[in-house]
Amino acid sequence: MSQRAALLIGAVDHARKEWQDVGKIASKLYEYPEGSREDFLSKCRNGEFKDVYALYRSNQSNGLTGNFDDELLQALPSSLKYICHNGAGYDNIDVPACTKRGILVSSTPIAVNDATADVALFLMLGALRNINQSYQAVRQGKWRGNFQLGHDPKNKVLGILGMGGIGSAVATRAKAFGMQIQYHNRHQLPASEEEGAKYVSFEELLKTSDVLSLNLSLNASTKHIISKPQFDLMKDGIIIVNTARGPLIDEAALVDALESRKVWTAGLDVFEEEPKIHSGLLNNENVVLLPHVGTATFETQRDMELLVLDNLKSAIQKDKLITQVPEQKKERANI
Amino acid sequence: MKVLLLGEIEHAHESWSSLQTLAELASPRARHRAEFVKECKSGQLDGALVIYRTFDSVDITGRFDEELVNVLPESIKFVCHNGAGYDQIDVHACTRRGIKVSNTPHAVNNSTADVNMFLILGALRRFNPSISALRQGNWRGHPPPPLGHDPEGKVLGILGMGGIGRNLKKKAEAFSMKIIYHNRKKLSSELAAGAEYVSFDELLATSDVISLNLPLNNDTRHKISTREFEKMKKGVVIVNTARGAVMDESALVKALDSGHVASVGLDVYENEPQIDPGLLANPHVLLVPHMGTYTVETQAAMEEMSISNVRCVLERGHLRNVVPEHCEL
Repeated sequence: MSQRAALLIGAVDHARKEWQDVGKIASKLYEYPEGSREDFLSKCRNGEFKDVYALYRSNQSNGLTGNFDDELLQALPSSLKYICHNGAGYDNIDVPACTKRGILVSSTPIAVNDATADVALFLMLGALRNINQSYQAVRQGKWRGNFQLGHDPKNKVLGILGMGGIGSAVATRAKAFGMQIQYHNRHQLPASEEEGAKYVSFEELLKTSDVLSLNLSLNASTKHIISKPQFDLMKDGIIIVNTARGPLIDEAALVDALESRKVWTAGLDVFEEEPKIHSGLLNNENVVLLPHVGTATFETQRDMELLVLDNLKSAIQKDKLITQVPEQKKERANI
Repeated sequence: MKVLLLGEIEHAHESWSSLQTLAELASPRARHRAEFVKECKSGQLDGALVIYRTFDSVDITGRFDEELVNVLPESIKFVCHNGAGYDQIDVHACTRRGIKVSNTPHAVNNSTADVNMFLILGALRRFNPSISALRQGNWRGHPPPPLGHDPEGKVLGILGMGGIGRNLKKKAEAFSMKIIYHNRKKLSSELAAGAEYVSFDELLATSDVISLNLPLNNDTRHKISTREFEKMKKGVVIVNTARGAVMDESALVKALDSGHVASVGLDVYENEPQIDPGLLANPHVLLVPHMGTYTVETQAAMEEMSISNVRCVLERGHLRNVVPEHCEL
C-alpha cells in the first residue's frame, strides 16, 4: 500500500495523545504549528509534505494559512485526498474546488450544537432583558445607570433562520422559556423532527417574529441575507441574535436599524470582518457582544478535536469520512 | 376608607385609579424617614387602613423595622408589599401590631429564573473577560480569555426549592444540567419533578454550580460563608438572584481570589447599591444590578397583583395572600 501520511496544520490542544495515536496508522505525522501563508505554500511546493494523504486544519489555523482557495489547493501535495476541518462553519474552504480535485472534506457538525445554542440563549436573554446598559453601568460604579426595562421571553415568537443541528438545539432551549417557535429552512423538516415548531416562508419569518435567531451557514447565496430590505419587513422593536456568521447580516444596515430602534436590541457572537467590529456596534449600549466564543469550552473543544481525528483516521484506514460536508454528498430521498 | 401609597405606580395606572371608587388614595409628603416618622406622629396619615409599598420606597421610609411599624397610624391593618422578597419588613413586629402583610410570589418566578439562567451560563462559560476585552476594542484580549465549561451534565445545586427554584430547574434541564436541591423540607415527588433532595452539606460538596434561591431572614443571613465555601468543590460556580445577605460577600471575595470559587454571577448584594470592590475588581464575575424582575410584563403583573390585594382588603376586609409568617393568623 502506498504511504499515507497525516499533516496537522495549527494545534491540537485537548486531544494531543489521540493525535499521536494517529501515528500508529499513518505512515508519518507532519506538523505545521506556526508560520505564514507564504511559508506554508513554499514548503508545500518544495515537497516537504510528501505522501500527505489527509490533513487536519481548523477555523483557528485559517489565520495561519489563509483560506483554502484554488491557489493553496494547487500547492498542496498531489497525494492529498482528505481535508479534515475543525469547525462547523467551513466557508473558508472552496469546497467545489476541492471536489474538482477529488479532495473530500469533513467538518465538525453536531459537536458544536449545544455550546453554540447555549451562547445563542445567553445572547437572546441578554438582549430581551436589555442587560447591556446596566451591565456596563455596574462596572462603572453607576449601579443601574440609565436603563430601559427589558422583556420576558414567555409567549414571544422566536423565528429561527436555519433549522439545522444548532437551530434545533436553540429551539429546544427557547421552548423551556415559554417561547413559540417558527422557522425557515431550505426544506421543511419531517413532522416528527419539528417538535411543535411551525414552518414559514422567509418573508413570514421576517414579518412575524419578535426575536430572530440566525443559525444558517454562510455561502455565496446567504451572504447579506439580512440587509436593509429585510429589516424593513420586520416588526418594529425586533430583537436579532447571530451566532452563525457575521457576513449573513449587512453590519452597517444593522447599525442603522439599531439606531432607529427598528431593531430594539441585539446579541451578536459574530461580525462581518472579525476581529474588526463596526464602531456603531461598539458604541451602542443596546447590544450584547461576544468575540466569537461559540464553542469555547474545554468539553466542546475536545469533542471537536476528537471528531476531526476520527475523520482523519477513517480517511487513512477506510478511505471514507464520518462527517463529510453535505455539498459533496448526494442528497437522501426524503422518505 | 383610605389607602396609603408608599412609592410609585409605574404600569398599572388604570387598576390603581379604579380603587378611587372604594377609598381615598393618599401619599405622604415625606421624602425621607425622619420626615415620614414625623408625618405619622402628627396624625396626618390617620385613618389609613392599608399601605401599598414598593421595594424602592425604602428610600422614603427606611426599612419597615419595629421602630417604623410602631409609629404607623393605629388604623393600619394591612401592608401590601410589591415584591416577592419582603426582608425589608419586620413581619414579627407587624404581627405584634396586628398588621398582616402580603407579597407577590409567583409573578416573579419566570423573570427571576431567566436572569438566574443568564448568570449561570455567563459564569460557567466565563464570558466576562471576553465581553470587557471586546468593548475595549481588543477583540478577545491578551492573553486570550479562559475557556469556559458546558452546562451539559453538570450538577446544579438549588438552595431553596420554592417557586423560583422550581422554575429554574425546568430551564436548567433544557441545557442538560442535573438538578439536586436542598430545602427546609423535602418536596413531594410531584413538585420535585425528578430533582434529587440532598442535605445542605451534600449540596455544597457535590454541586458544580450552586444557585441561591432562598428568602432572606434571621435563619438564612450569611448562610453561605467561609465554612461553606471550604466544603464546596474547587472551581465551583455560584449564582445569587435571591438576596445579597444570604452570602457573606467579603468571604466570597476571598474564595474567588483563592480560586476555590472559579466564578460567580450576581444580581444581588449585601448593601445595594454598594458592591464589594473585590467583586468589581475581579474579571471572572458577572454582575448585574438587581434586575431580577425588571421587565415590562413582570413589573406590570406584580403591580396588578399588589393592587388586587389592596382591592380585596377594601371590598372584603382581607388579603388574597399573606406572607408565610402570617398564614396562621
